[in-house]
Amino acid sequence: MTTASTRRMPPRKSVQTVIYHAAMLLIAGIFLLPFYWMTISAFKNNAEIFARPVTWFPDPIRWSNIAELFNRDDFPFLIQFGNSVFYAGSVALAVCFSCSLAAYSFGCLRWRWRDLVFGLTVCALLLPGIVTFLPVYLGWSRLGLNGTYWPLITPFLFGDAFFIFMLRQFYMGVPRELLDAARLDGASEFRIWWQIALPQVWTALVIVGLFAVVYTWNEFFSPLIYLQDREDFPLSVGLFTFQANRAREWSISMAGALFAALPMVVLFLLTQRLFRQGLASSSLK
Amino acid sequence: MGAVQLTGVRKLFGALEVIKGVDLSIADGELVVFVGPSGCGKSTLLRMIAGLEDVDYGDIRIAGADVTELAPARRGVAMVFQNYALYPHMTAYDNLAYGLRRAGMARAEVDARVRETAALLQITELLPRRPKAMSGGQRQRVAIGRAIVRKPEVFLFDEPLSNLDAALRVEMRSQIARLHQELQATMIFVTHDQVEAMTLADRIVVLNAGRVEQVGTPSEVYHNPANLFVAGFIGSPAMNLLPATVGQGGRLTLAWGTTMAGPACSSGMAGQSLTLGLRPDRLSLVPQAQAQASGQVTLAEHLGDESILHVRLPIGQSLTVKASGDVAARLGDTVHLGFDMTHAALFGADGQAMRSA
Repeated sequence: MTTASTRRMPPRKSVQTVIYHAAMLLIAGIFLLPFYWMTISAFKNNAEIFARPVTWFPDPIRWSNIAELFNRDDFPFLIQFGNSVFYAGSVALAVCFSCSLAAYSFGCLRWRWRDLVFGLTVCALLLPGIVTFLPVYLGWSRLGLNGTYWPLITPFLFGDAFFIFMLRQFYMGVPRELLDAARLDGASEFRIWWQIALPQVWTALVIVGLFAVVYTWNEFFSPLIYLQDREDFPLSVGLFTFQANRAREWSISMAGALFAALPMVVLFLLTQRLFRQGLASSSLK
Repeated sequence: MGAVQLTGVRKLFGALEVIKGVDLSIADGELVVFVGPSGCGKSTLLRMIAGLEDVDYGDIRIAGADVTELAPARRGVAMVFQNYALYPHMTAYDNLAYGLRRAGMARAEVDARVRETAALLQITELLPRRPKAMSGGQRQRVAIGRAIVRKPEVFLFDEPLSNLDAALRVEMRSQIARLHQELQATMIFVTHDQVEAMTLADRIVVLNAGRVEQVGTPSEVYHNPANLFVAGFIGSPAMNLLPATVGQGGRLTLAWGTTMAGPACSSGMAGQSLTLGLRPDRLSLVPQAQAQASGQVTLAEHLGDESILHVRLPIGQSLTVKASGDVAARLGDTVHLGFDMTHAALFGADGQAMRSA
């Protein structure tokens, strides 16, 4: 029995809690295993990669694989890495700008047929990209822009249904009075968006930017279709073509994959606090 | 200068008419309070004056000019919002300066105006702070400063004290009253708090379901309500409304049989059904021999300096009595009530006031 003078002990962890944590650790391990396998494979040679029994740590660590990755003539890794940075960065900027403007209009402004237009925009989410691919491809061909990044980046200047939907939820959380106060202060609608509304949803914008970067960094189909030259490929397509042409060189492929994945991991680690904040606040809207 | 004139103003949201033809004149320098229950349209009407809601019919004039179609910033109005609406990512200084900068004012002039306003409201030390580093009262003072700094023709207050605690509300109320005296500006103040309305207003506009029920000084609205709605809404506790009929000789017969001389009653009105309105402070506890009604106490609220007794008569009618604080009546006690007919109001079958005594 607990008396007033006896300090209460925190309740002991139940068996369920232990099982829960064990299960979570197992699932986390399953998800991390491929990444770990890729990492150690990047520092082995082919024989070591396929050796049985499996070695869980490279011995010796073959740093030469990395040097070879950066210096091969048939795999312009650094150029393709730069292409990926350009592609992902451009799409992220385009998405943040266009979707933010559209979402502000859907979330904060009142205009005739607004909800109908928003509904149609959301309906675009239901349309598989492959359905519209052919007419869009033919359109860009007619414009003579195949083989460039224009077809890959330009569409995002006109928004993306998913990101518009996501940002709208955040904009709806901006107090209407804040925007009204700015109107009374004489700000134009564009200035209200830029100077008043946008600073209130910037964590959401970071999330949208991150999503756009990750999506574009891993995008494979569109660059494969629209780009022809190896020097123009982003890493996603570059790695695939290298693997297709040099099927036996698993260690170089794994080193390439490692360096292709690292920027995303670093980006997430740097922004994870904002990411969590933004997702948490979006769930409160 | 800052007179406001509303003529036939109506507002529809789809098929729903929320403002049903408001005609109102507010004189320059007057402090008018819009009061009414939730959803009566008082905030919508204020937002229409500010230009934040479109006017579907009618027109709005400020200082003689038709502003019905003008953008909010060009109407010469400033507004203080219930939730302050300070820009959270800007300092108090920038909040005050934002509108002036938008108006293209020179930097030195902006600085002078901001500091002059801050001094007036004693918020100079808050100028470098962001809203999240301020208390509710400080935020509201900055919000008022943002309105004052633009030197508008008309100040609009949309329930600005609702988010403050009781003590701060009283303090801010007196500060607004003081500002009104100092600035001599036209102010329109929206509230559902009757105490705010009664203490601040030069005139009160009572709104109900998008219609103006009565416009008058606080005293007029309190003592001479224009209709049953105003009688029931203004005053806390609410006015007692007692069904009565006019008998021979113009005497009123109440539902439980008591007869008395009623205000504005004549023999010609015999047989008419009316409603007698009596404020709770016009009812008092009296000895049984002098009583005009007797009933059982169903709730006794002892507030210190006064007690509010809720009394149920045998016929089911409930009465509210405002008695002195030392009254000893408790739940279940039988009490005897006397009626003071001073300021009693009489309402016809259509709910409109017949005349106040």
